[in-house]
Amino acid sequence: MQTMRPIRTLQILGLIAALACSAAAAASGNLEAGKQKSTPCQACHGADGNATDPQYPRLAGQYRDYLEQALKEYKSGKRKNAIMAGFAGSLSDQDVLDVAAYFSSLPSKLGDLHGHLQGQ
Amino acid sequence: MSRTLLLATLLATAAFAGSAAAAGNAEAGRTKVYTCGGCHGVTGYKNAYPNYHVPRIAGQNADYLIAALKAYKTGDREHPTMRAQGESLSEQDIQDIAAYLSSLAQ
Repeated sequence: MQTMRPIRTLQILGLIAALACSAAAAASGNLEAGKQKSTPCQACHGADGNATDPQYPRLAGQYRDYLEQALKEYKSGKRKNAIMAGFAGSLSDQDVLDVAAYFSSLPSKLGDLHGHLQGQ
Repeated sequence: MSRTLLLATLLATAAFAGSAAAAGNAEAGRTKVYTCGGCHGVTGYKNAYPNYHVPRIAGQNADYLIAALKAYKTGDREHPTMRAQGESLSEQDIQDIAAYLSSLAQ
């Protein structure tokens, strides 16, 4: 049985590492890119992600994966909203990750209901 | 003159009653969000299939919450659990819950 040459093994390992690295980069959002891409969102959702008009949701500090899910559903049409269909439709998968990462990172007025229920 | 005054009073009363029904009562909402806590009150709680955190709703804007709950109630916004919750809520319940949740902004 032929033994694999060390150089070749190293090359293959390097390739695998590079692929894994780029896959990880694509799977998570980039805050700085998200900030740039969030400009159109700010008109309704506020410059800081805390919309002052009560008809629009606050996005600052919302769970990242929930924001991703919402954008995906607007994009696919599962969640119906004329305004959001237009915006989400123009976003790539990477844009969705970046924008969600950015808004979830902002200082929040939101929280869960723990401690706010009757008897707590 | 007296007839005009009576009519004006009647109209004002009707308008007031109309706005009272439309406005949410945060104190009433506090007791009505008890069920919501089963998911939204557990930090880190996740929706299954697909997997994502249930949203933080304490401190969310009132009109958005009202629109969301109504859309769940009618089925315009699809989510089995939230559809069931929405269906169990009256218009007044929705107003009250939105008033309470929005009052929790940090």
